[in-house]
Amino acid sequence: MMADPHLLTILVFFPLAGCLLVLPVWKRPAAARPLALGVMTGELLLALWLYASWQGLAALKPILPGYLLVEDAPWIGAFGIRYTLGLDGISLLMVMLTAFSFCVALAVSWRAIGEKVGLFLALLLAMETGIMGVFLALDLALFYLFWEVMLIPMFFLIGIWGHGRHIYSTVKFFLFTMFGSLLMLLAIIALHLLHAQQSGVATFGLHQLIATRLPAGTQLWLFGAFFLAFAIKFPLFPLHTWLPDAHTDAPTAGSVILAGLLLKTGSYGLLRFGYPLFPQAAQTLTPLFYTLAIAGIIYASLVAFAQEDMKRLIAYSSIGHMGYVAIGIAAWQPVALSGSIIQMANHGVTTGALFAMVGMLDERAHTREIGAFGGLWGKIPLWSFFFLLFSMASVGLPGLNNFVGEFLVLSGTFTKSPLAAGLAFTGIVLTLVYTVRLVQEVVFQTERKPLPLADLDRREICLLALLALLVILMGVHPAPLLDLIHGPVKILVGGAP
Amino acid sequence: MTKADLMAFMPLIILAGGSVVVLLAGAVRPGGWLYELALAFVAAALVWTIALPATAAMPGLAVTPFSRFFAVFLDGTGLVALLLASGYNKRRGIVGEEYPATLLFALAGMGAACAASDLLMLFLGLEAFTFAFYILVAVERDSVRGGEAGLKYLLNGTLSAAILAMGIALVYCSRGTLKLAELALQAAPPEPLFLAGVCLVLVGLAFKLSWVPAHLWTPDVYQGAPAPVTALLSTASKGASVAALLLVLPLAAVWRGGHDILWGLALATLVCGNMAALVQSSIKRLLAWSSVAQMGYVALAFVALPAGGARAALFYIVAYAAAGLASFGAVAVLADGTDRDAIEQYRGLGYRNPLAGAALAVALFSLAGIPPAAGFMAKFAVFSAALRAGETALAVVGVLSALVAVFFYLRVVVALYMRPADGMEAAVRPLSISEGVALAIPTAAILFLGLYPSPLLDLLIRISR
Repeated sequence: MMADPHLLTILVFFPLAGCLLVLPVWKRPAAARPLALGVMTGELLLALWLYASWQGLAALKPILPGYLLVEDAPWIGAFGIRYTLGLDGISLLMVMLTAFSFCVALAVSWRAIGEKVGLFLALLLAMETGIMGVFLALDLALFYLFWEVMLIPMFFLIGIWGHGRHIYSTVKFFLFTMFGSLLMLLAIIALHLLHAQQSGVATFGLHQLIATRLPAGTQLWLFGAFFLAFAIKFPLFPLHTWLPDAHTDAPTAGSVILAGLLLKTGSYGLLRFGYPLFPQAAQTLTPLFYTLAIAGIIYASLVAFAQEDMKRLIAYSSIGHMGYVAIGIAAWQPVALSGSIIQMANHGVTTGALFAMVGMLDERAHTREIGAFGGLWGKIPLWSFFFLLFSMASVGLPGLNNFVGEFLVLSGTFTKSPLAAGLAFTGIVLTLVYTVRLVQEVVFQTERKPLPLADLDRREICLLALLALLVILMGVHPAPLLDLIHGPVKILVGGAP
Repeated sequence: MTKADLMAFMPLIILAGGSVVVLLAGAVRPGGWLYELALAFVAAALVWTIALPATAAMPGLAVTPFSRFFAVFLDGTGLVALLLASGYNKRRGIVGEEYPATLLFALAGMGAACAASDLLMLFLGLEAFTFAFYILVAVERDSVRGGEAGLKYLLNGTLSAAILAMGIALVYCSRGTLKLAELALQAAPPEPLFLAGVCLVLVGLAFKLSWVPAHLWTPDVYQGAPAPVTALLSTASKGASVAALLLVLPLAAVWRGGHDILWGLALATLVCGNMAALVQSSIKRLLAWSSVAQMGYVALAFVALPAGGARAALFYIVAYAAAGLASFGAVAVLADGTDRDAIEQYRGLGYRNPLAGAALAVALFSLAGIPPAAGFMAKFAVFSAALRAGETALAVVGVLSALVAVFFYLRVVVALYMRPADGMEAAVRPLSISEGVALAIPTAAILFLGLYPSPLLDLLIRISR
């Protein structure tokens, strides 16, 4: 089969085209909603089609080893910036997750967003373009561009449709991220200049820059800047404080995308750019990385246990789960890295589902206090069933998706650093503790406040059933996804210590 | 002067002559189509410059690709500023021919400064447009702030003119010529008298560029002047001053001290401008301090002059001008005949006036240096030049102060879109066509330069050689 050469461009800019289509009808929700749904579904179908044909594409002998599709064109000649997009198994998994998460985000905000609907949808679509770009860019300057572009819609999303202290949260989110990325920008330019000095070629292309020979000290500085930017997004332990605020105050769709995708851009950036570009520096900093990740897992779990707001609790649990992803990357070993990547997708699905469910409950009860609920199993059984399922998945119950990722991460890490694996394992126990508390207080126990709650409607059941199906499928039969990322992971790890 | 020379200098003649024609037309027919007439002159000069790529030289002035680039840039900003002013002035009761005539005169002065080939003509051009701005800043006669601003600008301006003139005199004393080309070629080791002269010229230009510590007039003048005047003052006059500096700096090329002075100016401007902008509650003062800070990045580009800094400075000034026009233009539209100036009073205006709100937001994101706006590419150019020149420390300061800047720019965006408007005020006035065009041009330029800067960058490489 022949692959259309501009497929990746379409993948990135189709949502933006949708955004431009939605803008003229931004005052008419009845027209804007179906339009946005059409565009997002189309994008998802395109991603799934790519997945269905990835083995055919892999057989085509692409320009870059391991890549299924590559697109390359000159863009800003004066700076040496090129428009380079590339799709390998890891990007494809992230692309599918992105397309899917946006459909989920749209579905959960179908009724929840009643004000300025058109603007909301336009921003969602613009953000989809930004995130797709981050997962596909292979030119560092282009990557940086998308990396920043995706922030602006999120800033508005939290600021306009958020609740609570949403303005404080959104500004904090924006500043934290900018802090890291601005230093990364300097590092990108510095790397570009060093490469140009050595080879005489002015380029920002990832695969050319990997060949740059850097003295250890310089490498450490540059990696430090990259690491800071990605660690803030991740988020790693002392840099995480923006996350609970942003997640809690964002509208449900915002939380789904924040947890499902924006955090993944941090881990993706680290494994696509940070480690391959600066292997020695990465190795030097590995103990620090382990320490921060484990501290994050334990700290976040303890804090999550003390939360009264369900959304905040899930936000803290995100920090914990991303800690496993971090450990898997730190181990930089095929099994652990595969686990991390699978865990990125798993976490996107599970946490996205949990945020969506809390959003649904919030729509009905207008509160997210754990103390306000209780005995929901008897009142809204369908909701409670799904909530229990996703909570169990989040704990890592065998047979559900998170188990696969955590198992691979821990077993891979064990070969490299038994201590880190052992400490991370205690984190799983802590996760169990706070999740059980959440489920026990909300779903079981006796009713604490007489709240008039209606069970799930058809739209919500469809959405949650789909998510549940994915959770089970990815838990029972993860092999196709592991096959997909196997090749790229081998290439990544082979190129590093 | 041959016919070919005349053709090459025609844009300057159109502007200067147009200024007189508008003045006379106003006397004959008060309140006629004066703004339209002035617009026609600016447009004619613009089209002429683009259509006729001629070069010519006569004593004191030379039309070069460099000066033609600036002519296009200045006429473009003048065009937008005139479009903005036509509606704004009518609502404010600023009538009469003096406004459009003075604006044309200012454009002619800036054009002359950019085309100068000796120091005297440079001085005349610079002071001609500064003189025009003395009038424009205080043109709103009933406004208390306007009078105060006019006086402050006048006092600071005359001081800087005196310093500039003294510097030029010292240069002449030591080298015996005023021709820029001859001065740059004299490779003699710089003697103290010459250096003192160059330093004084630098200080004089620092006033015009509001580099710290010569920036103190900026916030008061920007706040007090009518918004369309501020739009022009903060963009075109900065552009002309950058051109003047680029013409003068080769004089000090062999002297390391020039670099050190610029280094200090850049550091002080970056830190002071961004920090001061943090605590402003008036939107015009915030934009004024932000423009001080933005000039700090231009200074950073000048520090990196040997490493492609000229191109970065030029790109930066174009990107900044687009954002400056859009932001002050949006402020002119949103203030709408009132004295609305506190950031708090801009709450919810992004929905009441979508185009003006969007223009302001895009401009602010561009000033903050966030892609896909032109400001990002401009910062990118400046930072790469700085790192290439080995100015890592200054680049890090620039990046960190850019982070501070993000915070205060966001404050305005937050007010525009995220805080509810308090109380329903008078019905929203629909934008007039001239305002719509005046906001759309710079906004489109911001987005275009942010996404596809290649044509401009290639052009700048050619002219900054």
